[in-house]
Amino acid sequence: MSYLEYTVKRVPTGLSKVLYLNWALVLLVTAVASVGFLMLYSVAGGRLDVWAEPQMKRFAVGLVVMFAVGLTPVWFWRSLSGLGYLVSLILLVAVDLFGVASMGAQRWLDLGFMRLQPSELAKIALIMALAAYYDWLPPERISRPLWVLVPVVLVVVPALLVLKQPDLGTALLLVLGGGAVMFAAGVHWGYFAAVIASGAGLVGAVLSSRGTDWQLLKDYQYRRIDVFLDPSSDPLGAGYNITQAKIALGSGGWTGKGFMQGTQTRLNFLPEKHTDFIFTTLAEEFGFIGAASLLALYLLIVLFCLASAMRNRDRYGALLTYGLSANFFLYFAVNMAMVMGLAPVVGVPLPLVSYGGSAMLVLMLGFGLVQSAHVHRPR
Amino acid sequence: MTRIPLRPLARILDARRRGQNPDAIERENRRLRHEHLRDQQRRVAESRLVVLSLLFVAGFLTIGARMAVLASTEPSEPASVAASASIAAQRADILDRKGRILATNLATNALYAQPPIMVDPDGAARALARIFPDLDAQTLAKRFKSGRKFIWIRKKLSPEQQQAVHDIGEPGLLFAPREMRLYPNGRLAAHVLGGTGFGREGVHAAELVGRAGVEKAFDGFLRDPANGGRPLQLSIDLSIQSTVRRVLDGGMRLLNARGAAAVVMDARTGEIVALASLPDFDPNDRPAPPTGGDPADSPLFNRAVQGVYELGSTFKTFTIAQALELGLVTPATEIDTKGPLRWGRFRIRDFHDLGPKLSVTDVLVKSSNIGTARIAQLIGAERQKSFLRQLGLLDPAPVELAEAPSAHPLYPSNWSEISTMTISYGHGLSTSPLHLAAAYATIVNGGHKVRPTLVLGGGRRDGERLISAETSRQLRKMLAEVVTRGTATFAQVPGYPIGGKTGTADKPNPKGGYYKDKVIATFAGAFPASDPKYVVVVTLDEPVETSGPKPRRTAGWTAVPVAAEIVRRIAPLLGVRPVIEQGGAPALTLTGN
Repeated sequence: MSYLEYTVKRVPTGLSKVLYLNWALVLLVTAVASVGFLMLYSVAGGRLDVWAEPQMKRFAVGLVVMFAVGLTPVWFWRSLSGLGYLVSLILLVAVDLFGVASMGAQRWLDLGFMRLQPSELAKIALIMALAAYYDWLPPERISRPLWVLVPVVLVVVPALLVLKQPDLGTALLLVLGGGAVMFAAGVHWGYFAAVIASGAGLVGAVLSSRGTDWQLLKDYQYRRIDVFLDPSSDPLGAGYNITQAKIALGSGGWTGKGFMQGTQTRLNFLPEKHTDFIFTTLAEEFGFIGAASLLALYLLIVLFCLASAMRNRDRYGALLTYGLSANFFLYFAVNMAMVMGLAPVVGVPLPLVSYGGSAMLVLMLGFGLVQSAHVHRPR
Repeated sequence: MTRIPLRPLARILDARRRGQNPDAIERENRRLRHEHLRDQQRRVAESRLVVLSLLFVAGFLTIGARMAVLASTEPSEPASVAASASIAAQRADILDRKGRILATNLATNALYAQPPIMVDPDGAARALARIFPDLDAQTLAKRFKSGRKFIWIRKKLSPEQQQAVHDIGEPGLLFAPREMRLYPNGRLAAHVLGGTGFGREGVHAAELVGRAGVEKAFDGFLRDPANGGRPLQLSIDLSIQSTVRRVLDGGMRLLNARGAAAVVMDARTGEIVALASLPDFDPNDRPAPPTGGDPADSPLFNRAVQGVYELGSTFKTFTIAQALELGLVTPATEIDTKGPLRWGRFRIRDFHDLGPKLSVTDVLVKSSNIGTARIAQLIGAERQKSFLRQLGLLDPAPVELAEAPSAHPLYPSNWSEISTMTISYGHGLSTSPLHLAAAYATIVNGGHKVRPTLVLGGGRRDGERLISAETSRQLRKMLAEVVTRGTATFAQVPGYPIGGKTGTADKPNPKGGYYKDKVIATFAGAFPASDPKYVVVVTLDEPVETSGPKPRRTAGWTAVPVAAEIVRRIAPLLGVRPVIEQGGAPALTLTGN
């Protein structure tokens, strides 16, 4: 039972839906993606064909996907939520069995025409499933332990599958994104407090167990923690990326060195300069002003999504929009924090900007769902 | 929270009384309750959204603030540059006396593996075996999979090798920056420099520790950051060292000697200009010390400093110098040389029969053992011992080499009269060629004690006077006569008159007694003969000169020609002016006619 009754009659139909799309969001997404094209062009040393052109093609495809998904009624997607979740689980198992290994982790499924990263798809499927679950669940049961356990299982199963790849970053994003939907759905805050407290306790236990008989992690894992806490302790080893990225940010200063003038990134000091660490190129070439502008664009995207969620009286649509914007926020927040040394290097790309097809398409699919919820919201 | 009752009894009864359907009331109340719940849920949801939006904004602000902090910091490239600077140029360079580099540092990398983070141990092992042919892929793969967390693979990599390893793309193969000691001149001054090895070794750096030679003797100085990388300047002259080593090497091969040593020393300051020992080694690739056998056979053995030998007749110079100094004899005093000289069960002979009597000068020139022993009898054990100790021949040489303090001269604990007599002509007392050079410098430089040194400016002129200038002058004249008409006639070098003394000593047999056919041949000389600037000592181990009908082993045929060749070549390099021979038809006159 959906406790919100609204008249479907007042939802736009046919081609007129196009007018009801969240065009500001489309514009913002395009702007951010264009920044990405510019940076990929610069990182490739002024060549379009290396990274920028394929990225543009993918974005074009992504736009089509977004419009197609956005113009499809949101109740169609709601009915697909459970199925989508199951399919994403199957894909995650499949990637474990038949996946292609790359960069030390098995994350990719080769579909012939493209390589799919099922963990990306799982993020959206999880948010859809949770939104549908809370849409279906009578509100008085939301905080009952048994009914809290169900979404926890929904979150933990794909997270564990992703962790096994191994991809700690995406697993964390899954947990955080799922937790955000649960929080927004109104699960009693006591549960979150308990999880945070026990998480802090676990971290404390892990750190204090170092060097004792019951040491919880391997030595090299502790060294990685050390390097995160103080990258300068191993500037040429594990801390290299972070150190170099910080140098790039610092050398950009307030106004930057100018387009195509970044040395730190152009001279190959940084690995992953076109994927996870592309933000450093921007920061070096356009300085604080450029970086803060991109940050503002991201903030606007998230705020537009949140505003759409607030205005949406359909519980499924609101939770879906909210979950997707949280996902998007976590995505780039983790990337930027990682680049700037606020978070460990976990391998999360910068959404819409980093080079990569799978991530781009899935992001555009997510924005399509946001559009669908926006267009078909009850009025 | 007040719940709206679905069927409030009062209203139901009232409705029934009025004949209305009470279910409508329930429906109405159900709707109200529903709306109440919905409003409540919306309030919760909205407050949650606001809380999370605030969290988002806080996240944005944190990132923005961090960005601003980073943008406002100076791009000083802090960690990496500082770290590499602390690795490189830690150990000071070593220079020769003209400032040419003898030892410097090179940044390189060591290669290690961390198997826990390796992606493809087998592939990495195969690729490594291709880059380093001496590594075996299978053993390597076994080591990678042995469960160890850290494995050293290579201690030094060339840039090409490093690139090749880098191109494997294996994240578990890692480089450790290293400072490598480089000796650009290779073997040239191997025994002087000694060599270095790694001390405490870590992933980020390794300590270079002096293992031998001046590297070890000056280890503290070279490593002390307080010196600010100030190089250590030695008294060694690279050109002289190169010439000496080359000539010595040639002589050693020609004479089938087991080994050879040579020292060139400034006669006044004791600064060692060249010091060579053969066979030698490349300090860039210092061999491991031998585990068995005689350490003296190892190329690491410094024959010029560590090797203590009976240096034979070269010691006659000291006996005669002391006798002259004490006024016991004059150069013309006749000495009884009728042989053999019997003393208890010992008999002292000369190499040839030199007749019944010789002047003191001729005792030295013709190298008469009997005559020297008789002079030594005049001196006596106590005075001889104290004079030799003053010359520094009874204590380890105070030179700045790690090996020097352990090279003790060997002499009899009971310095009897027969010891006095044998030691007077260089038997029964073993010293190093370096000792001999320093003592000769003292004798010929006017009588001032010389302390051997390898550091530029480390020597002292006009040290303690051991013999008078007159005695020194008389000795110089006698030593010159040894070359012009005595046992060292092969030491005549046109333009560079040399004064010196030969010494041929039978090698002691470890089983007791002496070998009949194995000698240590030594020439100790100084040039120019009348006012010596430099002292040269050449020692050959078991040389044989085979151009004649029977093998000749005496120093006059072996060590002397080698020393003469050395002087012939280095005297011009050292800036010693040649003496233009007078007489004969002038081939060229400066003024022209």
